[in-house]
Amino acid sequence: MDLKKTFDQALWVFHLNTGSCNGCDIEIVAALTPRYDVERFGIKLVGSPRHADVLLMTGPVTRAMAPRVKRVYNQTPDPKVVLVIGNCGTTTGVFYESYNILGPIDHFLKQIDPDVKIVYVPGCPPRPEAIIDAVAKAWLVLEELRGDNK
Amino acid sequence: MADTTYTFPIGPVHPALKEPTMFKFVMDGEVVVDVDVQPGINHRGIEFIGMRRNVLQTLHLAERICGICSIVHQYAFTLATERAAQVFEVPERAQYIRIIMAELERLHSHLLWAGVAAHELGFDTLLHLSWKIREDVQDVLEIISGNRVNYAMYYPGGVRRDIPPEKIPRIKKVLDHYKENFQMLADTFLGDPVIKHRTVGVGTLSKKDAIATSTVGPTTRASGVMKDVRFDQPYDAYADIDIKPVIPSNYGFEDAGDVYANIVVRLIEVAQSIEIIEYALDNMPSGPYRAEMNVNKVLMMLRKADGEGFGIHEAPRGEMCHYVRLKENQDNLDAWKVRASTYNNILAWQKKLIGQQIADVSIVAASIDPCIGCMDRVAVVDSRTGKEKIMTDVDFHRLSVEKTKRLRK
Amino acid sequence: MKVMNGDEFASYIKDRFGNNVLSMRVDKFKNGVKKSEFHSVWLRVDRSVFKDVMRAITEIHDEAHIAVASGSDLGEEIEIIYHLNLFWGERNRQLTVNLGVRCPKDDPHLPTISDLIPGALITEREKQEFLGITIDGIPDPRRLFLAENTPEGFYPWRKDEDQQEKLKKLYRDVHEEGV
Repeated sequence: MDLKKTFDQALWVFHLNTGSCNGCDIEIVAALTPRYDVERFGIKLVGSPRHADVLLMTGPVTRAMAPRVKRVYNQTPDPKVVLVIGNCGTTTGVFYESYNILGPIDHFLKQIDPDVKIVYVPGCPPRPEAIIDAVAKAWLVLEELRGDNK
Repeated sequence: MADTTYTFPIGPVHPALKEPTMFKFVMDGEVVVDVDVQPGINHRGIEFIGMRRNVLQTLHLAERICGICSIVHQYAFTLATERAAQVFEVPERAQYIRIIMAELERLHSHLLWAGVAAHELGFDTLLHLSWKIREDVQDVLEIISGNRVNYAMYYPGGVRRDIPPEKIPRIKKVLDHYKENFQMLADTFLGDPVIKHRTVGVGTLSKKDAIATSTVGPTTRASGVMKDVRFDQPYDAYADIDIKPVIPSNYGFEDAGDVYANIVVRLIEVAQSIEIIEYALDNMPSGPYRAEMNVNKVLMMLRKADGEGFGIHEAPRGEMCHYVRLKENQDNLDAWKVRASTYNNILAWQKKLIGQQIADVSIVAASIDPCIGCMDRVAVVDSRTGKEKIMTDVDFHRLSVEKTKRLRK
Repeated sequence: MKVMNGDEFASYIKDRFGNNVLSMRVDKFKNGVKKSEFHSVWLRVDRSVFKDVMRAITEIHDEAHIAVASGSDLGEEIEIIYHLNLFWGERNRQLTVNLGVRCPKDDPHLPTISDLIPGALITEREKQEFLGITIDGIPDPRRLFLAENTPEGFYPWRKDEDQQEKLKKLYRDVHEEGV
């Protein structure tokens, strides 16, 4: 399925840091500021998961964050897509053998929702272009979930 | 407390620039009477991991302690390793490349902070302006290293890659661009009456407290303390440059230690960094950029080394230290301790926040430029009712924006 | 405040504390094209005089800056090294002093120095939770970085066998039961 010329509605994203080093997070912010400016596509960072269509998650899951990852996921309304940004979130990356890192993000999401839709964005950190591209891909998944392939 | 009353864990538009720290405030009405800082949500056990890997692997791990001040950790770690091993003679050219990268990092970090500070005040135009300007230094970093974040430049015995002469004009072009724009940025930050209202006398830290709690970096310099590792104990090519710590009173401002003084220090340091980079580019000696090019040989040298070293680097947020101990015939580090700048500034937070209004909390907390992660949220206890309420960064930001709007009227 | 270089500082401490200074080394590093030099002193002292040495240092420079305390497990003993910066405030005058002190694992006690340098509080709290030592007289003994659901008695920087066992159990819990 191809991306349509226009989005049906604005895409709201919520950003959750599960123990990241900030590298991916500043690239997300960089994507919002004038050089990349995703707000012109209607992609907007919101302050609550309850308002979001897409969850941006960065970083390996630390011991303190593990229950909170699940909680935020449950708070987000369906249909939803999770964007795992960066190597640490996909595989725990360089932090793999720590006592305080419990695993990659999908490990926890699959425990509560086996059908979770995840778009992975590898990179340390991924460039803002890659993040924008991944949000567009998430949009395709969302359209499929909504079942409105006009 | 927070465990049972958890609402949701993250800030709104700029979650990335918050320490993963929880504050517990005791409030009397709108005023903070006590505060307790509880970090650790972002704790990844990095020293523990480092003690299970060899030095060159840990080099990459050190870089990923923090994405905003990435090479800063790599720099301090490299210094500590070299001082522990005492087998590397760092070439002069490498010493210059090292400080050029460190100052470019400072440029991007201070501009980033300026944007966040503006955002915390509800001045989002200025946020976008600062970040637009910041993208130029990101380009330079990418031209030199190939990556926008995590540049992987430092290496025991030198740097990983050279800055060839053909790249220098491009770097200078960006520096000139900054010099043109600097005055505009300074006028906006220091001259705007609303910013002045929101920051002068807010979140003060006295000189005495700053010294007693061993605060570091712009936080301590804003209170008038002459602490700057580049000046106190010049290392690498900083030894050739006459750097003076930026103290507000030297530039006609007051050493009040408030948020305004923090803005002053960071803005003037941007100008100072541009000067240092220009000097270093013009005076960079020729020659090799690494003492030993063969990776396996470097690993063997480190394996044979036995000793301990302590590396200090003046990061954008202040003094940054790494302690490294190497043992003979052992690949992994025998001991490693990382001390980020914010670690020493936690106690200053307490001093700065007590007596503040709740609407000022976010800008005061941001004034020390906290950097590790992004999980902050705050429990507010009303001392009269004893009721506990979790406030998120969204709420604080809303309060802060409302206060700015009131002042504008 | 009497400004000293590394050698002067080393001989002053040696004269004053004699045999209680277990080892001492002065490192000198040359920097830049001009090869200017700064010093760094490494000393190990006996636990009985540790607080006195710290007091002597704060007498030499009453505004001593504590960078951090690093700690490690040496097998039978635990070593804490306090990294201090003295004589800051003038160009190329700062002296780094690395003061090491050891305590046996069956009696892991050290006195607090936060009465001399208040800024040491954070790093002392961290040493308590990561190495399982007790800092006597610490004003705020709570945990700092480890999550509330980390088991008691697990000290990440300890290298002994039973800690490794606890660590394996931590990993097992995560993978078998989830969180």
